[in-house]
Amino acid sequence: MKTFKGGIHPPEEKELVKDNPIADFPLSSTFYVLVQQHLGAPAKPIVKAGDEVKKGQVITEPLGFVSAPVHAPTSGTVKEISKMVHPVTGLLAPCIVIDADGKDQWADGLPLERDPSVMTTEELMGAIKAAGIVGMGGATFPTHVKLSPPKEKTIDTFIVNGAECEPYLSSDYRLMLEQPERVLGGTLIAMRILGLDKAILAIESNKPDAIKLMESKAPPQIQVETLKVKYPQGAEKQLINALTGREVPSGGLPMDVGAVVQNAGTCAAIYDACAHGIPLIERITSVTGRGIKHPKNIKVRIGTPIKDVIDFCGGLNDAAKIIFGGPMMGIAQFSDDISIMKGTSGVLVLTEKDTNISHYSACISCGRCVEACPMCLIPSTLSKAGEKSMWQMALDNNLLDCVECGSCTFVCPANRPIVHFVKYLKALQRAANAKSKGA
Amino acid sequence: MVGGIGFVAALILGISAVTFAVEMDPREKAVLDQLPGANCGACGFAGCAAFAHEITENVEAEMACPAVNENALKAMSEILGRDLGGGAAFIAFVGCKGTPDQTITRYNYVGPRDCRAAQIIAGGSKACAYGCLGLGSCVDVCPFGAIHMGEDGLPHVVEAKCTGCAKCVDACPRQIIRLIPKSGNYGVGCISKDLSKDMKQYCKVGCIKCGLCENICPFDAITVSKDSSAVIDQSKCRSCGLCVSVCPTSVISFLHTPLKARVIVEKCKGCGICDQVCPVEAITGKPKEPYLVNESKCIGCGLCIDKCPADAIERIVS
Repeated sequence: MKTFKGGIHPPEEKELVKDNPIADFPLSSTFYVLVQQHLGAPAKPIVKAGDEVKKGQVITEPLGFVSAPVHAPTSGTVKEISKMVHPVTGLLAPCIVIDADGKDQWADGLPLERDPSVMTTEELMGAIKAAGIVGMGGATFPTHVKLSPPKEKTIDTFIVNGAECEPYLSSDYRLMLEQPERVLGGTLIAMRILGLDKAILAIESNKPDAIKLMESKAPPQIQVETLKVKYPQGAEKQLINALTGREVPSGGLPMDVGAVVQNAGTCAAIYDACAHGIPLIERITSVTGRGIKHPKNIKVRIGTPIKDVIDFCGGLNDAAKIIFGGPMMGIAQFSDDISIMKGTSGVLVLTEKDTNISHYSACISCGRCVEACPMCLIPSTLSKAGEKSMWQMALDNNLLDCVECGSCTFVCPANRPIVHFVKYLKALQRAANAKSKGA
Repeated sequence: MVGGIGFVAALILGISAVTFAVEMDPREKAVLDQLPGANCGACGFAGCAAFAHEITENVEAEMACPAVNENALKAMSEILGRDLGGGAAFIAFVGCKGTPDQTITRYNYVGPRDCRAAQIIAGGSKACAYGCLGLGSCVDVCPFGAIHMGEDGLPHVVEAKCTGCAKCVDACPRQIIRLIPKSGNYGVGCISKDLSKDMKQYCKVGCIKCGLCENICPFDAITVSKDSSAVIDQSKCRSCGLCVSVCPTSVISFLHTPLKARVIVEKCKGCGICDQVCPVEAITGKPKEPYLVNESKCIGCGLCIDKCPADAIERIVS
């Protein structure tokens, strides 16, 4: 079985939710749609308080190429443009509040049934861009940018990421199991855009039924590959390394080694956008963890308040921590006044027993983090640099190559918050850069 | 044998120390003795010795050390034979009084004990975006040991040790610490720009922007607006302390002991100008007789001292 060097084996905890079929989430009465749901240039709202909106209507205008529009998740009235906590940054961010009218009416001309195989690649790209599709594994990088590499880069490998290596989460697994045609359809469209005649669909070996189903359904040009269960197997650079043996150079991107990786959920969204003209207004999310009474996989609209989601899953049960995403790379939330975003692959509620909130001690130089680091860095050095705020020393130790997967922090016997140190050092480095540019 | 090698080595070292000695300007050494010696780098040079060299060799060089005190400055001016200016007499002032029991924290922070690292996690755990995070980055960077973390969870500046080098100002991710003139007497312990109604939800001791201090200040030294905490113009402030007495949340504090005026009876000619200028009617008396200051009313503003034609009023510690 294929894999990469380093990595860790955290408890999988997938059995909590992996066998629950995707449930349709009932419409909420109010939606809180954040304006910034992607990585890159900001977008600005193009609706104002009192406006009537229809389901699928564009409500923000992207400012720049590396940006994506947001669409109304249902029909109703714009109540206000207010501010709410952004689940990723934790800071207040503009958000469009929509009071649903309950009719759930599509905007004019939607959905638009068409055959993607007769569309030109320009039309396909246009459909993806207009649908506001972003990487749905959690990074939320605009998909149309990833699918349009610069001309001087030759792309020969397209990988569909169905590894889902984060513990607890099962949204991609349920998607592949229940709606394989959406994933495969989207894969074929992305292959046409990239001008490739083959693709690899990579799945970790802990999802044998998904592998079997995909193998039977996949057309011959899509090759299903089984990966060893290991974290972070689904990280872009590790995935490319495991499947092709190529190593993305330091500071480089997957396209530097001729590869493009898309998440399985993103492929499904690409299919919806091209075949049905449906913008990205809903996604599949795992609501799981021992802190929630009835863990579920749900199909939920973007902008749904998290309180409704928790109520739908039976409420909280000794909850100590709510995380957006998985336990390794997800972001802990301090408030439940937040809403589902395009990149919310999971809502994880941990009990006190499952969390580790003890304080850290000095590095004992045991080297476990060095062994675990999938990027072959020396996390112990980075953490020591972090303690002294020495970002230049960290930069010399390839600080910027860290993907913040959290493997080092997971294995550290001294409980050192190494990823936090790395994020801190990166922030210091950015601030110093900005200062030197300004001066 | 070993003793022999030791003797030979000592001889070589001794001779070379004399032959190859680098001649150092005696003034440079004298200047170096006057510098604080913390090698903090605030002057822009690689330590106190480098700066001492620069200021001795280069007659154009200005006093770049913010940490030097007045006496040392005077001494250095004498050594170098040129005026190095009045020096920067500033001290650090912490603009937050929000102790953990008076403010609301949004979440339990577990991580590096450094405010700058805490700030990147959802903008810090304190609900107030202008509140002190209390992890002591300012304490860590202070080269003079002039800041310590109090039991109330807030940093405290020891005035006698603070040299105004501004290291803490740079280290604070929320810009809570500011430099204020050492001669200044009052500081506002809040920098919140939030509206009063928002601020009241998470802090009991911040500036509520009521404007009482602005209204009572006889010298127009304080400005408050609905989105800015009280700011004291130290050049206008006459240290009367009226603002402190009216502030409902006690966010303005004394830095020094307040002073009082006293009439020197032998000098007073009884002209009554002091009575006219006193903003709080603390001076009473009859013309042509010595006037008297009512200490309980006097705010120590010093207006009477400035106006007295006979130099008959002095400032005393009450």
